[in-house]
Amino acid sequence: MPPPPPHRPTSTSTPSGKGELAELKTQLRQLAGSRAPGVEDLKRELYKKVISYMTIGIDVSPLFSEMVMCSATSDVVLKKMCYLYVGNYARVHPDLALLTINFLQKDCQDEYPMIRGLALRSLCSLRVQNLVEYLVGPLRSGLKDTHGYVRTVAVLGVLKLYHIAPNACKDNDFPAMLKELIHRDGDSQLHFSFVSGGIQFFYLMNNEHMIYMIKDFSEWAQCLVLEMVAKYVPEDPNETFDIMNLLEDRLQHANSAVVLATIKVFLNLTMSMADVHQQVYERIKAPLMTLVSSGSPEQSYAVLCHLHLLVMRAPVLFSSDYKHFYCRYSDPSYIKKLKLEMLTAVANENNTYEIVTELSEYAANVDVAIARESIRAVGKIALQQYDVNAIVDRLLQFLEMEKDYVTAETLVLVKDLLRKYPQWSQDCIAVVGNVSSKHVQEPKAKAALLWMLGEYALEMPDAPYVLEGFVESWAEEESPEVRLELLTAVAKCFFRRAPETQKILGAALAAALSDAHQDVHDRGLLYYRLLQHGVETAERVINPPKQAVSVFADTQSSEIKDRIFDEFNTLAVVYQQPSYMFLDKEHRGAFEFSDDTSTNASVTESSETMLASQSVDANDNDLLLSASEKEDTRGNLVSNGSSSYVAPSNSLIDGLGSFTVPPAASSLPTASFAIDDLLGLSLSTNSPESTLAQPSLVLNAKPALNPGAFQQKWRQLPVASTEDYGLSSQAAANLTGPQPLLKHMQTHLIHCIASGGQAPNFKFFFFAQKSNASTGLGYFLVECIINVTARKCTVNYKTDESDLLESFAAVFKSAILNFGV
Amino acid sequence: MAGATSALFLLDMKGRVLIWRDYRGDVSSAQVEKFFSKLIEREGDPASHDPVVFDDGVTYMFIQYNNVYILTAARQNCNAASMLLFLHRVVDVFKHYFEELEEESLRDNFVVVYELLDEIMDFGYPQYTEAKILSEFIKTDAYRMEVTQRPPMAVTNAVSWRSEGIRYKKNEVFLDVVESVNILVNSNGQVVRSDVVGALKMRTYLSGMPECKLGLNDRVLLEAQGRATKGKAVDLDDIKFHQCVRLARFENDRTISFIPPDGAFDLMTYRLSTQVKPLIWVEAQVERHSRSRVEYTVKARSQFKERSTATNVEIELPVSSDATTPSVRTSMGSAVYAPEREALLWKIKSFPGGKDYMLRAQFGLPSITAEDSAPEKHPPIRVKFEIPYFTVSGIQVRYLKIIEKSGYQALPWVRYITTAGEYELRMI
Repeated sequence: MPPPPPHRPTSTSTPSGKGELAELKTQLRQLAGSRAPGVEDLKRELYKKVISYMTIGIDVSPLFSEMVMCSATSDVVLKKMCYLYVGNYARVHPDLALLTINFLQKDCQDEYPMIRGLALRSLCSLRVQNLVEYLVGPLRSGLKDTHGYVRTVAVLGVLKLYHIAPNACKDNDFPAMLKELIHRDGDSQLHFSFVSGGIQFFYLMNNEHMIYMIKDFSEWAQCLVLEMVAKYVPEDPNETFDIMNLLEDRLQHANSAVVLATIKVFLNLTMSMADVHQQVYERIKAPLMTLVSSGSPEQSYAVLCHLHLLVMRAPVLFSSDYKHFYCRYSDPSYIKKLKLEMLTAVANENNTYEIVTELSEYAANVDVAIARESIRAVGKIALQQYDVNAIVDRLLQFLEMEKDYVTAETLVLVKDLLRKYPQWSQDCIAVVGNVSSKHVQEPKAKAALLWMLGEYALEMPDAPYVLEGFVESWAEEESPEVRLELLTAVAKCFFRRAPETQKILGAALAAALSDAHQDVHDRGLLYYRLLQHGVETAERVINPPKQAVSVFADTQSSEIKDRIFDEFNTLAVVYQQPSYMFLDKEHRGAFEFSDDTSTNASVTESSETMLASQSVDANDNDLLLSASEKEDTRGNLVSNGSSSYVAPSNSLIDGLGSFTVPPAASSLPTASFAIDDLLGLSLSTNSPESTLAQPSLVLNAKPALNPGAFQQKWRQLPVASTEDYGLSSQAAANLTGPQPLLKHMQTHLIHCIASGGQAPNFKFFFFAQKSNASTGLGYFLVECIINVTARKCTVNYKTDESDLLESFAAVFKSAILNFGV
Repeated sequence: MAGATSALFLLDMKGRVLIWRDYRGDVSSAQVEKFFSKLIEREGDPASHDPVVFDDGVTYMFIQYNNVYILTAARQNCNAASMLLFLHRVVDVFKHYFEELEEESLRDNFVVVYELLDEIMDFGYPQYTEAKILSEFIKTDAYRMEVTQRPPMAVTNAVSWRSEGIRYKKNEVFLDVVESVNILVNSNGQVVRSDVVGALKMRTYLSGMPECKLGLNDRVLLEAQGRATKGKAVDLDDIKFHQCVRLARFENDRTISFIPPDGAFDLMTYRLSTQVKPLIWVEAQVERHSRSRVEYTVKARSQFKERSTATNVEIELPVSSDATTPSVRTSMGSAVYAPEREALLWKIKSFPGGKDYMLRAQFGLPSITAEDSAPEKHPPIRVKFEIPYFTVSGIQVRYLKIIEKSGYQALPWVRYITTAGEYELRMI
C-alpha cells in the first residue's frame, strides 16, 4: 500500500474501518441539500478524499448514493470527480449505476457544452449492458449538438455503444447518422474522432474523401486514416500513384507513428508492382534512418523493429547502409541486439570485412550478453559467405582472447563452420588444440569441443589424452548433453586411433553403463553391443562418412514472415510473430465486425471491396521479394536432400498450417529444423533392431518417408486416437528447444519429420514404421503438441496399421514419459 | 484498424500503481501491478528491458521518467510506434503542468492528473496531447477559481495546436538552429560513422493567429528560383516538420509556411549523412607500467576554422575502476578524477579552432586484483562541446516573415550553435 494519500485536510488516519466511511457519509449527506456559501469548497475537499481513497484501492462504493446526491452542482471539477467515481464503480455495481443514469442524462442537457460532453462521455463509458436503452437518446442529441466538443464525444460514444451492443447501434440508425455527419460537418476535430469512431463502420467507404482532408486532422487521427488507406485497394495503377503523391509529404511529419503509417500505405499499395515496390524501399530509407537516430530510445526501438523487418525481407537493398546499424556504447541492449541482427543480414561480399571488424570490437568491448551476440553474428556471417578466410582468422583470434564466454561462443561457432566447410579443418584445429579444456565451462561449448576432438582426432595429436581427462572427471560432469557427446567422441577417436584410446573407451563405456541418465545409459549400451558385434559395423554406425551441411535451416517460414509483414505497424512486428499467436481470440476480430457492418451500411461497396481484398491476398504471394525468398529456400532444400535427414519442404509446411489446432493453444506450426547429426547417430546405415520396442510391435530402425509422402498420408488418414499425457517437471525443464526430444524419440525409433515452436509451446510431427512392412505401409504418424508450462502433451495418432495402434501408442507413451527421467 | 489501449498507468519505482485510468475495462490494476513489480524485481533495471513486454494476453508498453513509470496496457494488436510516442507526449503534458514529472507531483495533483487522463485519451485512442491546449480548459489548483466551463476553440478548431485570442505586449520569436554532431571512431582511429542531426527550435511569443514564413538557403529552393548558389546553399537530407507546417506547400514550392503554436516547439529537424571531419579529435595512449601504475597521454585537437571557438568542452576519458592516486597535468583547462563515473573529466572552457592541447595523467593500481572481477567494459572516450555561431551544414535562415491581421511588427531572433551529440571515440 502506498504512503498516505495526498490532500487530506482534516483527518490524518486512513479509513481503518467503517467508522471513517460512515463519517464521510454523514458529511456528504449534510452537504447534499445545503446551499450555504462555501459549500462547494467543502464538497470538493470531501470528493477529493473519496477519490484519493479510491485511487489507493479502498472500496468507497458504499458512498455511492451520497456521492450522486451531492453531484447537483455547476462546478466542473466536482462533476469530473463524480463522473470518475461513478465510472469506477458502475460496472461492479450495476444496480447502483441505474441511480446515476438520471443525473447523467440531466447533465447531458446542461447549458455548458463542457458538462454536456463530459456527462455524455461518462454515460457511454459505464459499460453496463442493461443500461443501453438509456444511451440512445443522449447520443442521438449529442450527435446533433451545436458544439463540436459534444459531437466529438458523441461519435466516440457511438463506438462505445457498438462495443457493448452492436445491434442497438444498428437498430437506431447510428451508422447513417455518422455518415451524414461527416459529409456535413467541416469541423476537423470531429473528423478526428469520427475517424477513431466511425472507422469501425465504414472503414473503406469515403476513404478518398478522407485522404484529401488528411492535412486537417490531428497527428493521431492521421495515423488512423492512414491505417485505413492501407487497407484500400486502388482500381488501377494511376489511382495508386495519385494516393502516393498525395501522401508523400507525410513522410516528413515529425510524428514517427505518422511516418510509419505512411510507409505501410506505400508498401501495401505497391505489393503487386515489383519495381515500384523496390523504389518505395529506396524512398522510405532516409526517413526511417532519421527516426532511428532521433527521439527517445523507446521510439527508436519501435522504428528499428520495423526497419529490422524490412531489412530481413530485402537485405540487399540495405547493404550499403550498414553503418547505420553500428551500435553506440550508450544504446540500450535491446537496441544493440536488433542492430546486430541487421548487421548480420546485410553482410555481403563488399561490406563483410568492415562489418566483421566492427563486430569484433563489440566482442572485446561491451557487456557480456552483447559480446556473445556479436560473436554469434560473426559466425552467422561466416556461414552465409563464400569467402570466409578473414572471418575464420577473427574467430580464431577470439579464442586467443582467453575470456571464458568468448571462448565458449567461439567454439560452438567453429564447430558449425567445420560442419559446413570441412576444408578449413587444418587452420581451425591447430588453434582449437591449444584451447585449454579448463577454460571451457559451458555445456554447449564443451560439447562442441568434444565433437571436434572426436571428429579430428587424427589432426590433434593429444586428442586421446584430452579425452582421457574428460572421462576421468565423468562423475563431475553435470550435463547429460556433454556426457553423450563425450561418449561419442571417445568412440570416434577409438576408430581413428585405437591403440591409444582403447583404455579410455573401456572406461567411458563403463561409466556410461552405470550412468543415471537414461539416454547416456542407452547409448553406452548401444555402443557396447555394436562393438561386440564387430568393430567395423560399429564404425559404420557411429562414425559414418559425413557430408558437409550446406544450409542450417531457417527458424521461421516465409509464410509467417509474410503474415507479419501484412501486419506492419502493429505489435506483430515488435514480437516478430503474427498477431494470432499472441492475441486472445476476442481481441482479434476487429476487422470481422467492421466488415459486417459495412455490408449493412452499403451493400454494393462492400461486396466490391471484398473481392478486391481477396485479389490483394493473392498478389501478396506473388510479391517479388517473398517469392525470391521462397525460391531460395527451395533451392537449399534440394541441396540438402542428400544428407540423411531432410528438413520438411515448404509445401509440407503450408499443408501443416492448414490443419493446425486453434492457434492460441498450439504453437508455431511451421518452424522446421534440420536435425543435428552431432551425435554421430546416423540412420543411413543398418543398425540392429532395437531391443527397446515391445515384442508385439517391432519398429523399423530405418523407416523411409519423405515429407511429401508424410503430408499426403496425414491428409488421407483419419485421426485414429487422441491422447493427453502429463509430462514430468524434469521433462518440461529439459524441453528448452525441440532438439532434446527429437533425439530422445530417435532412441526409441520414432522419428521426427517436422518440429517447431518456442517455449512454452512446441509442436512435433513424428513417424515410425513397423519392421518388415512392405514399402509404403505400416506407418504410424503422430502429431504431438506440448505445452511446457502446463506440462501437458496432446497427441494425435494416425495409422494405416490400426491393429497395432494400441501397442504403438504404448511405445510412444512410454517413450515420451521417459523423456527427461 | 489499429488496436486500442485498455488502460494507462502511472507507477512508482517499485511498480505500485500511483494513478491509473481505465479506458476499456479489460485489464485490472492488480494484474498490471503484479506483473510489473515482478518485472522490476527480475530485471533489476527495467530500462534495459525492451519497452514492449507481453504477459498473459496483455501487451505492456512503458517508459521511465524520473521516479515514475508510465505504462499502457492493451489487449489488442496496437501500434507500438504510436503508443510509445504517445507516452512521451504524456510526459510532456505532465511536465508542462507540474514543472517536473515525479511521484510527488503526481500525488499532489491527483485530481488534475485524472482530468488530464480523461482528455488525452478516450476509449483507448489518443486525443489531445498538446499541453497548451489542454491547459486552457484544465486548470491546476492555483488557477482553479477562474474555471472555464467552455472548452476552448482549439479543441474543435482547424488549428488544433493554437488557441485564438493570445495576446503579448511585445511580439517576439526566438529561433535556435542547433546541430548536433554524432560521430563514432573505432579503435583504429577510423571514422566509422558520422552524421549531423539539426533542429530549428522556436520559441514564439506572438499575438493572434500569425502566419509565418521561413526562408532557408536550401539548394533546391534557390535553384528553383534561379538564384546563384555559389557554395552558400545546403542540401538537407531528410527533413521532418512539426505538424503546424503545411507539408503540401513545402512539397510544391519548398516554402515553409505555418501558424506556430504558442511557446517552445521544434519547427523542423533534418539530418545530414555526409562524412563530417571530427570537430574535436582526441587520441589517447595508455601505458601500463608493471602492475602498479598506468599512464595516459591524451592529445586533443580542434579541427575547425580558427575564427570559431568551442566552449564548455568536456572530454571524458574512461579509466579502470580500481585506479587510485591520480596525478594529472594539462596544457589547458582542468582535469578531475570522477571515480563514480570511472573516468577522468578534462574540462576546457574555451577551445579555439586549430589548436592542440595535451593531458598527461598517472594512476596507481592496486597490486592485488580481485579474482572474479567483472570483465572490463572498455567504454569509449566521450566528448561534449558547443560551438556557437557555427553550423556544420552551413544552413542559414534568410528570412522569417511574420504576418498577422492586426499588422504588428514582430522581432525574430536567430542563433546558431553546434553541439556534440553521440560523440564517441573508442580506445584500443
